[in-house]
Amino acid sequence: MRKIWIIAVREYNAAVRTKAFIVSVVLMPVFMVGGIVAQKLLKGQVDTTDKKLAVIDHTGQLLESIQMAANARNDKEVIDKETGKKINPKYVIEPIEPNTEDPDDQRLELSNLIREKKLHAFVEIGKDVIEPQSKPDSKSDILPSTERIIYHGESAAIDRMRRWLRDELNPSIKQLRLATRDIDPKVVAQVIRFAQVEPHGLLSMEAGKVKSEGRKSEGQLMATPIIVMFLMFMMIMIGAPPLINSVLEEKMQRIAEVLLGSVTPFQIMFGKLLGTVGVSLTMVILYVGGGILLAEKIDASQYIPYDLLPWFIVFQVMAIFMFGAMFIAVGAACSDLKEAQSMTMPVMVMVMVPLFVWINVVKEPLSAFSTWMSLVPTCTPLLMLLRQATPASIPIWQPWVGLAGVVVFTIFCVWAAGRIFRVGLLMQGKPPKITDLMRWAIRG
Amino acid sequence: MENAVELNQVTKTFGSHTAVNELSLNVPSGTVYGFIGPNGSGKTTTLRMIMNIYYPESGSIRVFGESLHGSWTDRIGYLPEERGLYKKMSVRDILKFYGQLKNGTDLNQKIADWLERFELTPWANKKVETLSKGMSQKVQFIATIISKPEMVILDEPFSGLDPVNAEVLKDAVLQLQKDGTTVIFSTHDMAVAEKMCNFIFMIFKGNKVLDGSLADIQDKYGVDTIRVRIDEDADILRTIQGVDKVNDYGQVQELRMSNGTDSQELLRAIMSKARVKHFEISKPSLHDIFVRIAGPEAEEATHA
Repeated sequence: MRKIWIIAVREYNAAVRTKAFIVSVVLMPVFMVGGIVAQKLLKGQVDTTDKKLAVIDHTGQLLESIQMAANARNDKEVIDKETGKKINPKYVIEPIEPNTEDPDDQRLELSNLIREKKLHAFVEIGKDVIEPQSKPDSKSDILPSTERIIYHGESAAIDRMRRWLRDELNPSIKQLRLATRDIDPKVVAQVIRFAQVEPHGLLSMEAGKVKSEGRKSEGQLMATPIIVMFLMFMMIMIGAPPLINSVLEEKMQRIAEVLLGSVTPFQIMFGKLLGTVGVSLTMVILYVGGGILLAEKIDASQYIPYDLLPWFIVFQVMAIFMFGAMFIAVGAACSDLKEAQSMTMPVMVMVMVPLFVWINVVKEPLSAFSTWMSLVPTCTPLLMLLRQATPASIPIWQPWVGLAGVVVFTIFCVWAAGRIFRVGLLMQGKPPKITDLMRWAIRG
Repeated sequence: MENAVELNQVTKTFGSHTAVNELSLNVPSGTVYGFIGPNGSGKTTTLRMIMNIYYPESGSIRVFGESLHGSWTDRIGYLPEERGLYKKMSVRDILKFYGQLKNGTDLNQKIADWLERFELTPWANKKVETLSKGMSQKVQFIATIISKPEMVILDEPFSGLDPVNAEVLKDAVLQLQKDGTTVIFSTHDMAVAEKMCNFIFMIFKGNKVLDGSLADIQDKYGVDTIRVRIDEDADILRTIQGVDKVNDYGQVQELRMSNGTDSQELLRAIMSKARVKHFEISKPSLHDIFVRIAGPEAEEATHA
């Protein structure tokens, strides 16, 4: 045991004192926070040059309202009132007389103007848009062209101006329709008023009073599970894969042979795993501790799932043992970095499976799919924790069964890896096949 | 004398290749035992089996009178053929690490003493990757003996050392023996083996071919070597009857006499063909014996 400890301490020091570790520990939060900040900053970075929209209005009734809407928007949104800076482009509407003789020629001409950057886009409003003859539920692509509004632009589908136009045109068209039928818009508004279905959490008893969790948005519901899962994923990724390099170094530098003169292969492997668990717990303390402190400071501590913390740590430790053993076996089976890289893939995929399915799991934590996936040992740490972090009530036995599965599978991994490690450690030359690995694991 | 290591009919195979074949060997306590043999003949495999790194297919190995199990490895220091040091650790840290793994005591003092002795003190806090090959060799040696083991196993300890450092290391090994440590080492340097070892063991293609003191071995190969210097071309020596083999070193020629040849007759025969400046009857050197067993000549003999 003492020797395992000595190996573990060395492994821990070797990992924690590298530049890569320090950089990743410091940079990870910087990147995460930086990403949010960058998004905020970039949001303000829009092209503020004026945008000219040519309008061919075959109805002859909508141009005026478009013009008015554009003016209203230009007054309100273009200049930031506080700073006096231009933050959005001005929309300039240019009416175009429809060319009834050769409409395609006109369209081509306008398109060329757009290519020459003299125009931002042009829109053609069919003459029957206000009073279409087709059925109301017809799909837009089977409508006759006279009932369609077609917006031409270089990237029309994602053009903000197109969306603006759509949102402005519809109320105007509606108003015109109501006016011809002599219906009071207020009545219509009352008739078609939308009834919401609000998302609320469950009620609970607190200090003798029934307490409601109140309204929760999708973001609030998903935030905690996502943060918890990705935190663990990152810690696995920072902790476990470097074991390959560490074993390879011992193998290539023939350190393994010296070590084997003093300790058994299993002691080496177990020591390395313990050291790596130490590394990941260090990160847990840094990040989770830091997160809790930060949350208390900004009065957001109610979002921290304290009851999950023990599960987080237990699953984290098991995940490191499980995946660490796999990475160690890979490292021991290879003789150089190149080989190791290709052999790492299968293990990496196993680590990442939860990332392919997490969306489905977080949306329906109680579905059969979610339950079974979270009981697959390689997925349990991440997915069970993800399910536990959702507000859904997971049956109490499931985390325990999941944990039992993980423990059994981890013991198997450590055992098998130990045997592969023992055979592979002094082996040089050609890389073993999967069948070789299995034979080593079975025969030792 | 008690035996530190006893190998009894030990066989180790790798796949279809037999690395060590029914090897029996006794290493008495407190002796310096030299392992010689060509590359790939099974030296390192034998050493690794004594270290319990490889397990033999059959036969038994006893170390300090016990079968190979338990925590006996703390009593043996092992210097592998290729250097095994963590590049990123400092010299002091790695010595301490290896010392602790052997449950060594009073390590800091011992490390300081040994670094001083090997003139490595200025490098104590430097990283291993900054050391030259010779220096890391010395560090590795210190790591092997830092816990004061009762036996040390050194696989090619002198390879890659300059003469000055080889001298320092040789003194250290002899000091170990004086202190009662059993030393087993393998080497390609026959001169070193001749001078340092109480016993010499040679393994060839997995089989034991020599085992005993240098005198015993030389006696076995008889007094059949003549060293001569003549003022003619060495080729004329090959024509003389009673000469099995001529080894021409340029300034000196070494002759091996065939069985039953009288050295005086030989001298007369040589004198009749050339002026003799030097004539010496000697025992075959270990080098010569080695080459006789493992050289191309022996190859031909075994294939004939």
